[in-house]
Amino acid sequence: MLAVWINELLQGVLLGGLYTLFAMGLSLSAGVMRFVNIAHGDFIVLACYALLLLTTALGLNPVIATLIVLPIAFLFGFVLQRFLLQRVVGENVLLVILVTFALSIIIENGLLEGFGADPEKISGGWMETATVALGDGINFGVFQGITFVAAVVLVAVLDLLLYRTGIGAKIRAVSDDVAAADLIGLSSVRIYAIAMGISFVTIAIAAGFVSIWTNFDPAAGPTRLLIAFEVIVLGGLGSLWGSLAGGIVLGIAQAIGGQFDIAWQIMAGHIVFLVVLALRPQGLFPKY
Amino acid sequence: MASPANLILNGGRAALVAAVVVMAATPWLFSATHVVLLTEFMSMLVLAIMWNLLAGYADIVTVGQHAYVGVGAYAFFGFAALWGVNPYLSILLAGIVAFAIAVPTMLLVFRLRTAYLAIGTWVVAELLMLAAGKLSAWGGGSGTSVPISIILYFGRARDVRLATIYWLAFGLAASAMSVTYFLLRSRIGIGLTAMRDNEEGAAAIGVNITFARILCFLGTAPFLGMAGAIITLQKLRVAPPASFSITDWTVLIIFNVVIGGIGSFEGPIIGTIVYFVLRQYLADLGAWHLIILGTVSIAVILIEKRGLWGLVRRLLGDDLIPIAHKPSAMLTKQHTG
Amino acid sequence: MSTTAASPLLAIEGVSVFYGNFRAIDHVDITVGAGEIVSIIGANGAGKSTLLKAIIGQAERVEGDISFAGDSIVGRRTEAIVHSGIMLVPEGRRLFASLTVEENLRLGWQVGRKAEIGFDDIWRQFPMLKDKRRQKAGLLSGGQQQMVALGRALLANPRLLLCDEISLGLAPLVVNELYALVPDIKRRGIGVLIVEQDIERSLAVADRFYCLLEGRVTLAGRPGDVTRDLVMQHYFGL
Repeated sequence: MLAVWINELLQGVLLGGLYTLFAMGLSLSAGVMRFVNIAHGDFIVLACYALLLLTTALGLNPVIATLIVLPIAFLFGFVLQRFLLQRVVGENVLLVILVTFALSIIIENGLLEGFGADPEKISGGWMETATVALGDGINFGVFQGITFVAAVVLVAVLDLLLYRTGIGAKIRAVSDDVAAADLIGLSSVRIYAIAMGISFVTIAIAAGFVSIWTNFDPAAGPTRLLIAFEVIVLGGLGSLWGSLAGGIVLGIAQAIGGQFDIAWQIMAGHIVFLVVLALRPQGLFPKY
Repeated sequence: MASPANLILNGGRAALVAAVVVMAATPWLFSATHVVLLTEFMSMLVLAIMWNLLAGYADIVTVGQHAYVGVGAYAFFGFAALWGVNPYLSILLAGIVAFAIAVPTMLLVFRLRTAYLAIGTWVVAELLMLAAGKLSAWGGGSGTSVPISIILYFGRARDVRLATIYWLAFGLAASAMSVTYFLLRSRIGIGLTAMRDNEEGAAAIGVNITFARILCFLGTAPFLGMAGAIITLQKLRVAPPASFSITDWTVLIIFNVVIGGIGSFEGPIIGTIVYFVLRQYLADLGAWHLIILGTVSIAVILIEKRGLWGLVRRLLGDDLIPIAHKPSAMLTKQHTG
Repeated sequence: MSTTAASPLLAIEGVSVFYGNFRAIDHVDITVGAGEIVSIIGANGAGKSTLLKAIIGQAERVEGDISFAGDSIVGRRTEAIVHSGIMLVPEGRRLFASLTVEENLRLGWQVGRKAEIGFDDIWRQFPMLKDKRRQKAGLLSGGQQQMVALGRALLANPRLLLCDEISLGLAPLVVNELYALVPDIKRRGIGVLIVEQDIERSLAVADRFYCLLEGRVTLAGRPGDVTRDLVMQHYFGL
C-alpha cells in the first residue's frame, strides 16, 4: 500500500516538472513586464502544432524539430512584443489583458480551422515506452524522468541568465524601473522584446515535452495557462526555483486527485491553488 | 445650442426613449422568432453591462464571469426542478446563490493584483464548472433537461410563454441599466471614474476605492446569476460546458464591450446590438467568426480604445446618456509633470 | 563668451518643449563647452528637468535645434544619444534597487562609450562603493546611492554630463563631497550641465549660469558678474 502511494507521489513530482516547464515563460514575462500573457497556453499549443508539422510533414525527429523551432520562437516572441504588445504595455494593464485574451481566442480558433478538433500527439519513440523500475511496483517512464531533469536544468539556466549575465541585469533593471532605464539609454522597448523572445523559447521547449507527454488539441491552451499561472503564484511571483516547488505541489495534488477521475485530477490542482492563495497569498517561496 | 452635433445627440436620445418603449412592447409587435432573439439579446446585454461595470469602471478585469451565469443556471434548476420552489422565486434565489458564491471568491481573488486577478477569476470558474459536473442530481457531466412542468409554469401557450420569458429578460436588462446608471452617478461612481482616469483624483474625492470595487464585484453577481436562470429557461437544459460556457458568457461579451466601447455606459449596448446584427452574417463562418471578432477587438484597442462609442463621441462631443459630470479622458495617460 | 569655443559641445538653439499643448520650455538658447560647468537655476516647475529630458531624447515633443559636437540630436533615440557621449544623472538617483552596486555601475559602462574611465577610476573616486559592491543598491544610504548614480554616469564616459538635482534630500556634508568631484570631472574635459535649486551651491562651482523662469531664460552670465539680488529676482520672477 505504501509503495502505491510512493509511486503516486513520484508520478506527481515528475508531472510537476512538466508544469514547471509550462510556467517558466509566464514567470519571465509576468516578472519583467508586469503583465500576464493570457495567450501563454495557446502559444504552447501553437508551438505543439508547429512541431507536429515538422515531425509529420518533414519526418523530422522531435528533438531536432524542437531545436529548429527554438530560434523561430524567439523571433516570434520578439516581434509580437515589439510590434503589438509594446503598443499597449505600460499604458493600462487592462489593454494588455484584452489584447492577449483576444490573441488566445484567435489562436485557438485558427488552429481549429487549420487542424480540426481531433487530438494530436507526437511520438517520442523509444523514450516514451522505456520505464525505469525501482522495485516494489514503483517505476517511472524514462521520458517523464527526462522532462523533470529538463525542467530543473531550464530553471537553473534561466536563473543564471537573469542573475549572472549582462542581459539578465538589463532585464532586471527594466523590471525595477522602466522610466529610469530609458533615461540612462537602456532601451526598455528592446529589453522587453528580448525578454519576450526568451519567454517564447521556453514556450517552445515546454511544447517539445508536452507534445510527446500527452495529447493536444486546439482548445488545450487555457488549461496550460491556468496551470502555468497557478505554478508561478504558488511558487511566489518572480521566484524561478519557487516555480519548481509550485509545479511539484500542483503535480502531486493532481496525481492524488487523479486516483478518482480526470475531473478530480484537475479540481485537486485548482483547490490546492486556492487554499494556498487563502493561507499564503505571497506564495511558497516569495522572492522579496 | 442648435449645433448639428447637438441635434444628432438630442435625436439620439429621443430614439433611445422610443427604443425602450418598443422593447417593452416587443411581444405584441414582433414574431415569435424575433421575441426569442430579443430575449437572448437582453440576456447578453445584462452580461455586457456587468462586465463593463467591472472592467471599465472598477478596474477588475474578469475572465471568469461565466462562473456566475453557470451557478445561476444550476441554482435555478436546483430550486425549481429538484426542490419544487416557485420558478419565479427560483430566478431570484439563483441571483442570491450567485452572490453567495461571489463573496468567498472575492475574498480569494482580491489578494491578486489586476492581471493575476483576471486569471484567478478564471480558475474559480473552472473549478465551479468541474464541480457542477459532479452533481448527479443535475445530470453530472452531461447535464439534464429542465422538466416540462416548469417550462409550462411560465405559460401554457407558446406565445404567452415566450412573452413571459422575454419580459423577465427585459426587466432584468432594464434594472441592470438603471442600477448601473444610478451607481455611476453616485459618489461611488464618481470616485471609480476618477480613479480610472487619474489615481490621485479618487483620493481627493474621498471615496473608499477598495469598498467601491468590492461593491461592484459583489453587485454584478446576482445579475449574472439571474441572467443564467433566464438563459436556462431559453436553452431548457443545464450542462457544465454549456451553462458555464466561457465562449458565450465571457469571450463574446468581452469582444462586444470592447468593440462597442469599454468604460462608457453606451458601449455595451452598442456592442451587443452590433454583435446581433453581425451574427446573422457571421454565424455560417464557424470558428472564423471568433477569429474575426478577436481581430477587430485588437484593432479597436490599437486604434480607438473607447470603441465605436468613442468614435461617435469624438464627433458629437457628449454622451447620449449623461453619466459623466465632466468629459473624462478615460484610459489616457495623464501628464502630471 | 570667451570660454565657449567656436563650436560649443552642446548648443541648444530656439528650443521649445511641449507636454501635450503645454509649452514647458519656450525658445531657449543655451550652450555648454567642453570642460565647462554650466548651471541652470530656477524654481520648482521652471522647466529645468524638462530641458534635460529634451537633451537626452526623452521629451514628448521638441521644436528648435539641439546639437551635440556639431551634430543635431533632436529626434534621436536616447540609446544613440548616450552612446555618442551625453549621460544623465537623473533626479532622485533612480538606481535599480534590486540590482547590486556593481551591476548598477556596469549598466553605465554598457550603455556608454567605453573609453578611458573604468571601474578602477570609480573605486578610486568612491572607495566606499568598492566595499559595498555586492550589496543591493536599494539598501544604500541616500548619499551612497547618489555616488552610485554619479559613478554609473561617469562609467558611460560622457563628454557631457547632465546632473539633475544631485543635492536633493542629502546632508550638506555629503553634498560637499559630491561637489568636490566636479573640478576633477572638468579636468577630464567633460562638459557639465548642472540643474539645481540650491542657488549658492550651483553658482559656486559654475563657470556660467542661466536663470530659467516659466520655461524662459531670464538671465545669463558669469557668477562673478552679477549680484546675488539680481539672481534672486530672476529666480522668483519678481
